[in-house]
Amino acid sequence: MRHKILKISALLLLIQLAGCANLGVQPWERDLLAKDEMALDSEGNDLGLDDHIYFSKEGTSGGRAFAGGGCGCN
Amino acid sequence: MKKTINITAALASATCALLHPYASANDMLEGWKVDTSLMYYGETDRVTAVETVIAGQKDFGDERLFTGKIVIDTLTGASATGAVAQLTAQTVSRPSGQGSYTVNAGETPLDNTFKDTRVQVDGQWTQPWSDVSRITTGLHLSTEHDYYSLGFNGSYAHDFYNKNTTLSGGLAYSYDVIKPEGGLPVPFSTKTASTGYSEDYDDDGYIEEDGDDNYANDERSGSSDNKSTIDVLFGLTQVINRRMLMQFNLGVSQINGYSTDPYKVLSIVNDQGLTQSLVYENRPDSRIKTFAFWQTKYALDFGVADFSYRFATDDWKVDSHTFDSRLRINLSDSSYLQPHFRYYNQSAAEFFQPFLMEGQALPEFATADYRLGEMTAYTLGLKYGMELDNGDELSFRLEYYQQSPKNAGFTEPGTLKDVDLYPSVKAVIAQVNYRF
Amino acid sequence: MNFLKPVLVFCCLALPVYTSSALADNVSPAPNFDIKTTQLKSSLQDLQGKVVYVDFWASWCKPCRKSFPWMNNMQAKYPDDLQVIAINLDAEPELAAAFLDKVPAHIPIVYDPQGNIAKAYKLLGMPSSYLIDKKGNIRFSHKGFFTERESLYENEINTLLNEQE
Repeated sequence: MRHKILKISALLLLIQLAGCANLGVQPWERDLLAKDEMALDSEGNDLGLDDHIYFSKEGTSGGRAFAGGGCGCN
Repeated sequence: MKKTINITAALASATCALLHPYASANDMLEGWKVDTSLMYYGETDRVTAVETVIAGQKDFGDERLFTGKIVIDTLTGASATGAVAQLTAQTVSRPSGQGSYTVNAGETPLDNTFKDTRVQVDGQWTQPWSDVSRITTGLHLSTEHDYYSLGFNGSYAHDFYNKNTTLSGGLAYSYDVIKPEGGLPVPFSTKTASTGYSEDYDDDGYIEEDGDDNYANDERSGSSDNKSTIDVLFGLTQVINRRMLMQFNLGVSQINGYSTDPYKVLSIVNDQGLTQSLVYENRPDSRIKTFAFWQTKYALDFGVADFSYRFATDDWKVDSHTFDSRLRINLSDSSYLQPHFRYYNQSAAEFFQPFLMEGQALPEFATADYRLGEMTAYTLGLKYGMELDNGDELSFRLEYYQQSPKNAGFTEPGTLKDVDLYPSVKAVIAQVNYRF
Repeated sequence: MNFLKPVLVFCCLALPVYTSSALADNVSPAPNFDIKTTQLKSSLQDLQGKVVYVDFWASWCKPCRKSFPWMNNMQAKYPDDLQVIAINLDAEPELAAAFLDKVPAHIPIVYDPQGNIAKAYKLLGMPSSYLIDKKGNIRFSHKGFFTERESLYENEINTLLNEQE
């Protein structure tokens, strides 16, 4: 079940790239996407602090960027 | 004699190096975008942490970017040892082997964790490779009194279809050294109640960082070990339409080396549920993790909706689902309110056991650390941000985080049925950010 | 052999950055558009004989804040043979007006809220600029605006100004 979900995700990623030609906007239609709050890392500090808390208190790490980088958090 | 890192001196000399060639603080900060945060994390009766983050970014022209971050966090308080609660009081020794403390009846044993300070430094450099691609390289360093980590990473990003699609791939390597207080415990060796060594702890009951280490104890197998991690990451960012952006990430990590928590134990209980002894845990020395992450951001007329889902699995059989959502509501041109909700669910590691039964053969690997057990957690938060007259941004965040460990199907013998083996952990997070 | 490697790496890194402003091999005529401003003639084609710098901008585009002062300078420096025109692509004209309050423009603005002129020019990014020669052909185009390249942009204008009609 777990591996199925991952294989499907990998396949979706590849299909996405092929189908991507039809999605998107013209360069001058990026007014809303250009806003600071629409950037994927717009709240960098919050996301980093949250990731640190959840990495220390839960059994999973990573997602937005690399899962590595350790600390001896108890 | 343990060496302490003189953090104050290190910071002072680094600051001098940065400030020296500049005529004023303003000159030094020219072109830098800085984001600072101060966060308080407090669990009821357990761990408390205070973290400071200073993150800076500077554009050196021609789309070359440097990003740097310094994090300093101090941790105090106690965390669960993995031992089970009992109907009577228990005496447990401290991890360093120096002295012991009493756990009240019905309470989950917590050990008074060390007052610890961690310093982390990250640096990252991005530059164009062609007019539709970029390369990034980064360095990561983290140090605390019992753990050191050094990492390198590199990634490549390529834009397609007028930057509507971006594909990226990256690699990271990290090398960690674990030097636990009291040395490395021998797996499943018994943790003794008292070893009679000189006690070096201060009035609050915390171990002093400069304490003597005398580890002639035969429960110790050495003073330090290491662990290395390799991460591979693939990402796809796609503009869906004028209002919507999506990101898909897939990652695989391989960890080799010492992965046991040297401070955690398991209780060996008899069929009446009474603890006979405490033994140190043992985890496999390799772990392969994979995850799939999907995020979407949608520009609403009154703000932004952000939703993400992450599925993770590994060969320790810890599977997890994470749903994270934020809704930014613009109150005016210069202020906003942002509620936050996160839901997390994980399954227990295959070697997770809340306790061991007396008389049964010891398993090869076992842990009672609830962080590898079955659990559900949720976070509820609210953030308020405002833009000041000078263009700087000030924001405040208040969150409530609750973890609910669950019984993954273990039958409790005897009196263990009458104690709470899976207490909830509740924490409050309060943070202030200043961006300029 | 040891020192060649870093040199090769440097070349690989440095070369691609400068190719984005290469000369177009096939010069194509600039698509015509109407100019409804009080200062200028009625369409682009009526400006033949002059070098025209066409810049596509919008209020939400950050590099545009740097490009306007430079464009104002260029127009003031070469008033007779150069015509700078700024084409606005904001969907809402009030946003463009707010931008112009903060960043003054001493050059004519053409409004293209539907993006028709942008489509005709096959715009690849924001901002985008096109340098049109005296015969009405597009000779140079740039995606983005970089203050470090202002002298490069000015050299291109000079090249076209020095050509015969």
